[in-house]
Amino acid sequence: MAYKYCVAECWGKGFITHDDSSKFQVSGFPGNVWQIPADNQDANLWVNKVAGIWKTKAEAQAIVDVEVTAAQAAWDALPDAQKQAPIGRQRPTAIVLE
Amino acid sequence: MTTYYGLYGQKVQYLASDPTDVQIGQVWYNSTSATLKVRAATTSGTWASGGNLNTARYGFGTAGTQTAALGFGGYIGGGAGVNTTTATEAYDGTTWTTVSSMPLARRYLGGCGTQTAALGFGGYVMSAPYKTGQTTAWSGSSWTVVNSMNTARTSLASFGTQTAAIGAGGDNYPPATGRPSNVTESYNGTSWTTVNSLNTARRGLGGAGIQTAGLAFGGYIETPVYQAASESWNGTSWTTTPSLNTGRNRVSGFGTQTIAIALGGYNGAATNSTELWNGTSWTATTNYPTAVDGAGTAGTNTAGLAFGGGTPASPAPSYSTVASQEWTGAGVGQTKTVTVT
Repeated sequence: MAYKYCVAECWGKGFITHDDSSKFQVSGFPGNVWQIPADNQDANLWVNKVAGIWKTKAEAQAIVDVEVTAAQAAWDALPDAQKQAPIGRQRPTAIVLE
Repeated sequence: MTTYYGLYGQKVQYLASDPTDVQIGQVWYNSTSATLKVRAATTSGTWASGGNLNTARYGFGTAGTQTAALGFGGYIGGGAGVNTTTATEAYDGTTWTTVSSMPLARRYLGGCGTQTAALGFGGYVMSAPYKTGQTTAWSGSSWTVVNSMNTARTSLASFGTQTAAIGAGGDNYPPATGRPSNVTESYNGTSWTTVNSLNTARRGLGGAGIQTAGLAFGGYIETPVYQAASESWNGTSWTTTPSLNTGRNRVSGFGTQTIAIALGGYNGAATNSTELWNGTSWTATTNYPTAVDGAGTAGTNTAGLAFGGGTPASPAPSYSTVASQEWTGAGVGQTKTVTVT
């Protein structure tokens, strides 16, 4: 399936409604990047509703990469004791957009 | 010409706002938003954004329903000694409000009950011996320490009510060996009793149901790591049932023994995978909008709630989100906007 991307900040209730969710799948990624199906009128209307800023796939991937790299650096800086399960989280892994 | 009136014997109402008491099949025109709307039955479950928590966290205890939920404790980051919280928040279907704190900061604890009568038990604390069996009862306004579990542990499955609860499996850490637990304990409102064990010892498993009819699924052990195993509890013993399609640690769930939702978790990375249990098998259903693990949950298959949770690359120190998502299951009335192209 082909996808399109936008950046929008989730404000909470009403950001994605059940009506939206029943018409298309929205998937969120780090950096407030949202993936929606391409060529879907309802999805396009949703991007307009949430004041989303369209991004190309490459632009969206770059935003995600920046967030992941920053999270990895923050994790690497943690004391070893905080990295060990169950005390801490695993190191964030790279995300490749479809 | 065929008209709506001719077909159904009713006119399409012209209303300034959506009606409050609507039936499946009802159609109306909302003059304020200039949209034609219909109340339709959902064909599959859907997620919709709910209110944001005040404190981002994961691995917390939870209780309640979609419109009256409670979240308590959890991991919030911030460095050694301060990264586990006592904070308790209550949800009214729209807004999360911070209420009275728990007496002991902990994460990966069990929780069950309602927003006005909840139970929190077990969990991981920030000083030796690190694991606790402490049990606390929520009155709707404050926490009271009651009798502890017999086996202190973290990351356990939990379900039931404040006076009839089950805690199953979990993590015995420390020590670093022999971590997965198969211990099941039953709470009668006064004390915990050890009952028949899970067939598969594991930690980070999800749970759903009541004290006499429960479900446990997913989790983690050292080999083969991310668990898909599912077991059904009849009030006396556990029976192995068909597994999840996707094995995962720190999986969240809500519902009953015969119809439940498993969402998110961690299987090398946080996942957005959501599965529906129909009493016989697990099938993939509408994915959670973001990858998440260790999210809080409340409610039922028809009206569920998931909130917070660890997300990929969420900022330090919490590595988690404030976002919540409301689940509406299949066959439920839902207002839809009619789009004409």
